[in-house]
Amino acid sequence: MTAPAGPTEALGAALTAEYAAIWAYGRIGVRLTGADRRAAREAEAAHRRRRDALVVQLSTGAGTVPADHAGYALPYPVTDRPGALRLAVEVEERTAAFWRAAVAATTGPDRDRALAALVEYAVRATRWRRAAGITPSTVAFPGRPS
Amino acid sequence: MIGRSRRTVLRAGTLLALGGATATLTGCDPLGRGGQPAAAPDPLAPLVDEALALAAAHTDAAAAHPPLADRLTPIAEAHRAHAAELAGLIGAATPTPSASASPSPAGDPAAALVTLRTREQAGRQSATAACAGAPADRAALLASIVAARATHVEVLR
Repeated sequence: MTAPAGPTEALGAALTAEYAAIWAYGRIGVRLTGADRRAAREAEAAHRRRRDALVVQLSTGAGTVPADHAGYALPYPVTDRPGALRLAVEVEERTAAFWRAAVAATTGPDRDRALAALVEYAVRATRWRRAAGITPSTVAFPGRPS
Repeated sequence: MIGRSRRTVLRAGTLLALGGATATLTGCDPLGRGGQPAAAPDPLAPLVDEALALAAAHTDAAAAHPPLADRLTPIAEAHRAHAAELAGLIGAATPTPSASASPSPAGDPAAALVTLRTREQAGRQSATAACAGAPADRAALLASIVAARATHVEVLR
Protein backbone atom coordinates (compact mmCIF):
# COMPACT_ATOMS: atom_id res chain seq x y z
CA MET A 1 0.00 0.00 0.00
CA THR A 2 1.47 3.35 -1.01
CA ALA A 3 0.85 6.38 1.16
CA PRO A 4 -1.89 8.59 -0.28
CA ALA A 5 -0.86 12.12 -1.13
CA GLY A 6 -3.26 14.22 0.91
CA PRO A 7 -6.01 14.08 3.51
CA THR A 8 -8.82 13.68 0.98
CA GLU A 9 -7.07 10.83 -0.81
CA ALA A 10 -6.23 9.10 2.47
CA LEU A 11 -9.80 9.38 3.78
CA GLY A 12 -11.15 8.23 0.40
CA ALA A 13 -8.89 5.19 0.61
CA ALA A 14 -10.13 4.52 4.16
CA LEU A 15 -13.68 4.68 2.84
CA THR A 16 -12.98 2.00 0.23
CA ALA A 17 -11.47 -0.16 3.00
CA GLU A 18 -14.62 0.32 5.10
CA TYR A 19 -16.82 -0.75 2.15
CA ALA A 20 -14.77 -3.92 1.77
CA ALA A 21 -14.81 -4.60 5.54
CA ILE A 22 -18.61 -4.32 5.69
CA TRP A 23 -18.92 -6.70 2.75
CA ALA A 24 -16.49 -9.17 4.30
CA TYR A 25 -18.34 -9.21 7.63
CA GLY A 26 -21.43 -10.33 5.74
CA ARG A 27 -19.48 -13.46 4.78
CA ILE A 28 -17.88 -13.81 8.22
CA GLY A 29 -21.05 -13.46 10.32
CA VAL A 30 -22.90 -16.38 8.73
CA ARG A 31 -20.09 -18.76 9.77
CA LEU A 32 -20.19 -17.73 13.42
CA THR A 33 -22.55 -18.37 16.33
CA GLY A 34 -23.17 -17.06 19.84
CA ALA A 35 -20.71 -14.54 21.23
CA ASP A 36 -18.60 -14.65 18.06
CA ARG A 37 -21.59 -13.72 15.95
CA ARG A 38 -22.53 -10.86 18.28
CA ALA A 39 -18.95 -9.58 18.13
CA ALA A 40 -19.07 -9.76 14.31
CA ARG A 41 -22.30 -7.73 14.29
CA GLU A 42 -20.75 -5.10 16.54
CA ALA A 43 -17.67 -4.95 14.35
CA GLU A 44 -19.76 -4.59 11.21
CA ALA A 45 -21.79 -1.81 12.84
CA ALA A 46 -18.57 0.04 13.71
CA HIS A 47 -17.40 -0.15 10.10
CA ARG A 48 -20.82 1.09 8.91
CA ARG A 49 -20.66 4.06 11.27
CA ARG A 50 -17.24 5.05 9.94
CA ARG A 51 -18.37 4.54 6.35
CA ASP A 52 -21.37 6.82 6.91
CA ALA A 53 -19.28 9.50 8.60
CA LEU A 54 -16.72 9.41 5.78
CA VAL A 55 -19.38 9.67 3.07
CA VAL A 56 -20.81 12.75 4.78
CA GLN A 57 -17.38 14.30 5.32
CA LEU A 58 -16.10 13.64 1.79
CA SER A 59 -19.40 14.78 0.22
CA THR A 60 -18.93 18.26 1.63
CA GLY A 61 -15.49 18.59 0.01
CA ALA A 62 -14.58 19.35 -3.58
CA GLY A 63 -13.49 15.81 -4.49
CA THR A 64 -15.55 12.82 -5.51
CA VAL A 65 -16.68 10.22 -3.02
CA PRO A 66 -15.39 6.73 -3.92
CA ALA A 67 -18.26 4.38 -4.79
CA ASP A 68 -19.03 1.05 -3.16
CA HIS A 69 -18.80 -2.10 -5.27
CA ALA A 70 -21.25 -4.97 -5.55
CA GLY A 71 -18.65 -7.42 -4.26
CA TYR A 72 -15.06 -7.76 -3.13
CA ALA A 73 -12.51 -10.52 -3.57
CA LEU A 74 -11.83 -12.54 -0.44
CA PRO A 75 -8.27 -13.80 0.09
CA TYR A 76 -9.69 -17.31 0.58
CA PRO A 77 -13.13 -18.91 0.75
CA VAL A 78 -14.74 -18.72 4.18
CA THR A 79 -16.39 -22.04 4.93
CA ASP A 80 -16.09 -22.53 8.68
CA ARG A 81 -15.48 -20.80 12.03
CA PRO A 82 -11.64 -20.89 11.93
CA GLY A 83 -11.66 -19.38 8.44
CA ALA A 84 -14.18 -16.74 9.49
CA LEU A 85 -12.12 -15.74 12.53
CA ARG A 86 -8.94 -15.61 10.49
CA LEU A 87 -10.60 -13.38 7.90
CA ALA A 88 -11.98 -11.14 10.67
CA VAL A 89 -8.42 -10.62 11.94
CA GLU A 90 -7.29 -9.78 8.43
CA VAL A 91 -10.18 -7.38 7.80
CA GLU A 92 -9.42 -5.45 10.98
CA GLU A 93 -5.67 -5.30 10.30
CA ARG A 94 -6.16 -4.19 6.69
CA THR A 95 -8.69 -1.52 7.60
CA ALA A 96 -6.42 -0.36 10.42
CA ALA A 97 -3.61 0.08 7.86
CA PHE A 98 -5.68 2.58 5.86
CA TRP A 99 -6.47 4.56 9.00
CA ARG A 100 -2.81 4.53 9.98
CA ALA A 101 -2.02 6.10 6.61
CA ALA A 102 -4.79 8.62 7.28
CA VAL A 103 -3.17 9.53 10.61
CA ALA A 104 -0.04 10.56 8.74
CA ALA A 105 -1.96 12.43 6.04
CA THR A 106 -4.18 14.48 8.36
CA THR A 107 -3.90 16.87 11.30
CA GLY A 108 -6.14 18.05 14.14
CA PRO A 109 -9.58 16.46 14.62
CA ASP A 110 -9.20 14.38 11.43
CA ARG A 111 -6.02 12.85 12.84
CA ASP A 112 -7.70 12.22 16.19
CA ARG A 113 -10.52 10.35 14.46
CA ALA A 114 -8.10 8.37 12.29
CA LEU A 115 -6.11 7.36 15.37
CA ALA A 116 -9.30 6.32 17.18
CA ALA A 117 -10.21 4.09 14.23
CA LEU A 118 -6.74 2.53 14.12
CA VAL A 119 -6.84 1.83 17.87
CA GLU A 120 -10.35 0.38 17.77
CA TYR A 121 -9.57 -1.96 14.87
CA ALA A 122 -6.25 -3.03 16.36
CA VAL A 123 -7.99 -3.97 19.61
CA ARG A 124 -10.67 -5.83 17.68
CA ALA A 125 -8.04 -7.74 15.71
CA THR A 126 -6.50 -8.78 19.04
CA ARG A 127 -9.91 -9.94 20.32
CA TRP A 128 -10.45 -12.00 17.16
CA ARG A 129 -7.00 -13.58 17.52
CA ARG A 130 -7.84 -14.56 21.08
CA ALA A 131 -11.17 -16.02 19.96
CA ALA A 132 -9.31 -18.02 17.30
CA GLY A 133 -6.60 -19.14 19.73
CA ILE A 134 -3.89 -17.38 17.71
CA THR A 135 -0.80 -16.54 19.77
CA PRO A 136 0.56 -14.04 20.30
CA SER A 137 -2.70 -12.15 20.04
CA THR A 138 -0.92 -8.83 19.54
CA VAL A 139 1.40 -7.43 16.88
CA ALA A 140 4.15 -4.91 17.57
CA PHE A 141 3.03 -2.34 14.98
CA PRO A 142 -0.73 -2.53 14.36
CA GLY A 143 -1.70 -1.31 10.91
CA ARG A 144 1.84 -1.18 9.58
CA PRO A 145 2.02 -2.81 6.16
CA SER A 146 4.20 -5.90 6.39
CA MET B 1 5.59 8.75 34.32
CA ILE B 2 5.11 6.11 36.92
CA GLY B 3 8.05 4.34 38.45
CA ARG B 4 10.91 5.75 36.41
CA SER B 5 14.02 4.51 38.07
CA ARG B 6 17.40 6.13 38.37
CA ARG B 7 18.82 3.65 35.85
CA THR B 8 16.21 4.58 33.24
CA VAL B 9 16.98 8.24 33.75
CA LEU B 10 20.68 7.54 33.34
CA ARG B 11 20.07 5.71 30.08
CA ALA B 12 18.01 8.65 28.84
CA GLY B 13 20.97 10.87 29.55
CA THR B 14 23.23 8.59 27.53
CA LEU B 15 20.92 8.68 24.52
CA LEU B 16 20.67 12.44 24.67
CA ALA B 17 24.41 12.74 24.98
CA LEU B 18 24.85 10.55 21.89
CA GLY B 19 22.39 12.71 19.98
CA GLY B 20 24.18 15.84 21.09
CA ALA B 21 27.57 14.47 20.03
CA THR B 22 26.26 13.63 16.57
CA ALA B 23 24.79 17.10 16.22
CA THR B 24 28.07 18.70 17.21
CA LEU B 25 30.07 16.63 14.72
CA THR B 26 27.74 17.20 11.79
CA GLY B 27 27.39 20.87 12.67
CA CYS B 28 31.15 21.36 12.69
CA ASP B 29 32.37 23.47 9.85
CA PRO B 30 35.82 22.39 8.60
CA LEU B 31 36.57 25.95 7.48
CA GLY B 32 35.83 27.28 10.92
CA ARG B 33 33.09 29.67 9.89
CA GLY B 34 31.14 28.86 12.99
CA GLY B 35 29.13 25.75 13.75
CA GLN B 36 25.45 25.39 14.42
CA PRO B 37 24.18 25.50 17.96
CA ALA B 38 23.77 22.09 19.60
CA ALA B 39 20.45 20.47 18.69
CA ALA B 40 17.68 20.64 21.26
CA PRO B 41 16.68 17.27 22.78
CA ASP B 42 14.33 15.43 20.46
CA PRO B 43 10.75 15.40 21.77
CA LEU B 44 10.64 11.65 21.10
CA ALA B 45 13.57 10.91 23.44
CA PRO B 46 11.33 10.48 26.51
CA LEU B 47 9.26 7.98 24.54
CA VAL B 48 12.31 5.80 23.95
CA ASP B 49 12.86 5.69 27.70
CA GLU B 50 9.23 5.01 28.35
CA ALA B 51 9.18 2.10 25.89
CA LEU B 52 12.29 0.59 27.48
CA ALA B 53 10.83 0.98 30.97
CA LEU B 54 7.61 -0.72 29.84
CA ALA B 55 9.63 -3.56 28.31
CA ALA B 56 11.53 -4.01 31.56
CA ALA B 57 8.34 -4.00 33.61
CA HIS B 58 6.92 -6.84 31.53
CA THR B 59 10.17 -8.81 31.57
CA ASP B 60 10.43 -8.47 35.34
CA ALA B 61 6.82 -9.47 35.89
CA ALA B 62 7.28 -12.50 33.60
CA ALA B 63 10.34 -13.56 35.62
CA ALA B 64 8.46 -13.17 38.89
CA HIS B 65 5.36 -14.97 37.59
CA PRO B 66 6.37 -17.65 35.05
CA PRO B 67 2.75 -18.64 34.25
CA LEU B 68 2.32 -15.11 32.85
CA ALA B 69 5.41 -15.31 30.65
CA ASP B 70 3.56 -16.43 27.51
CA ARG B 71 1.39 -13.32 27.72
CA LEU B 72 4.01 -10.82 28.82
CA THR B 73 7.06 -11.78 26.76
CA PRO B 74 5.59 -10.79 23.35
CA ILE B 75 4.51 -7.48 24.89
CA ALA B 76 8.02 -6.84 26.22
CA GLU B 77 9.40 -7.59 22.74
CA ALA B 78 6.94 -5.13 21.18
CA HIS B 79 8.07 -2.37 23.54
CA ARG B 80 11.70 -3.03 22.68
CA ALA B 81 10.83 -2.91 18.97
CA HIS B 82 9.09 0.42 19.58
CA ALA B 83 12.15 1.79 21.38
CA ALA B 84 14.40 0.75 18.50
CA GLU B 85 12.14 2.37 15.88
CA LEU B 86 11.81 5.56 17.90
CA ALA B 87 15.56 5.73 18.42
CA GLY B 88 15.99 5.26 14.68
CA LEU B 89 13.71 8.23 13.98
CA ILE B 90 15.63 10.37 16.43
CA GLY B 91 18.95 9.24 15.02
CA ALA B 92 20.12 7.89 18.36
CA ALA B 93 21.86 4.57 18.86
CA THR B 94 19.54 1.59 19.06
CA PRO B 95 18.95 1.10 22.75
CA THR B 96 20.01 -2.14 24.37
CA PRO B 97 17.45 -4.21 26.19
CA SER B 98 17.14 -3.04 29.72
CA ALA B 99 17.89 -5.07 32.78
CA SER B 100 15.71 -4.37 35.76
CA ALA B 101 14.61 -0.76 35.40
CA SER B 102 11.37 -0.94 37.28
CA PRO B 103 10.10 -1.32 40.79
CA SER B 104 9.85 -4.98 41.75
CA PRO B 105 6.68 -6.57 40.36
CA ALA B 106 3.86 -7.28 42.77
CA GLY B 107 4.01 -10.66 44.50
CA ASP B 108 0.48 -11.49 43.43
CA PRO B 109 0.03 -12.20 39.69
CA ALA B 110 -3.33 -10.43 39.57
CA ALA B 111 -1.83 -7.32 41.19
CA ALA B 112 1.12 -7.47 38.79
CA LEU B 113 -1.31 -7.44 35.84
CA VAL B 114 -3.17 -4.45 37.29
CA THR B 115 0.11 -2.55 37.61
CA LEU B 116 1.11 -3.37 34.04
CA ARG B 117 -2.31 -2.35 32.75
CA THR B 118 -2.06 1.00 34.50
CA ARG B 119 1.37 1.60 33.00
CA GLU B 120 0.18 0.64 29.52
CA GLN B 121 -2.72 3.08 29.83
CA ALA B 122 -0.35 5.87 30.86
CA GLY B 123 1.93 4.94 27.97
CA ARG B 124 -0.99 5.00 25.57
CA GLN B 125 -1.82 8.53 26.70
CA SER B 126 1.70 9.86 26.32
CA ALA B 127 2.03 8.31 22.84
CA THR B 128 -1.37 9.77 21.89
CA ALA B 129 -0.22 13.23 22.94
CA ALA B 130 3.01 12.84 20.94
CA CYS B 131 1.10 11.62 17.89
CA ALA B 132 -1.31 14.56 17.91
CA GLY B 133 1.43 17.10 17.33
CA ALA B 134 3.91 15.00 15.34
CA PRO B 135 4.93 15.66 11.73
CA ALA B 136 3.53 13.22 9.17
CA ASP B 137 6.68 11.09 8.96
CA ARG B 138 6.53 10.35 12.69
CA ALA B 139 2.78 10.25 13.21
CA ALA B 140 2.27 6.82 11.63
CA LEU B 141 4.81 5.11 13.89
CA LEU B 142 3.44 6.87 16.97
CA ALA B 143 -0.08 5.85 15.95
CA SER B 144 0.96 2.19 15.77
CA ILE B 145 2.56 2.51 19.21
CA VAL B 146 -0.66 3.97 20.63
CA ALA B 147 -2.63 1.11 19.08
CA ALA B 148 -0.15 -1.51 20.32
CA ARG B 149 -0.43 -0.25 23.88
CA ALA B 150 -4.23 -0.37 23.63
CA THR B 151 -4.00 -4.02 22.56
CA HIS B 152 -1.66 -4.69 25.49
CA VAL B 153 -4.30 -3.38 27.89
CA GLU B 154 -6.75 -5.79 26.25
CA VAL B 155 -4.42 -8.78 26.70
CA LEU B 156 -3.66 -7.87 30.33
CA ARG B 157 -7.32 -8.01 31.36
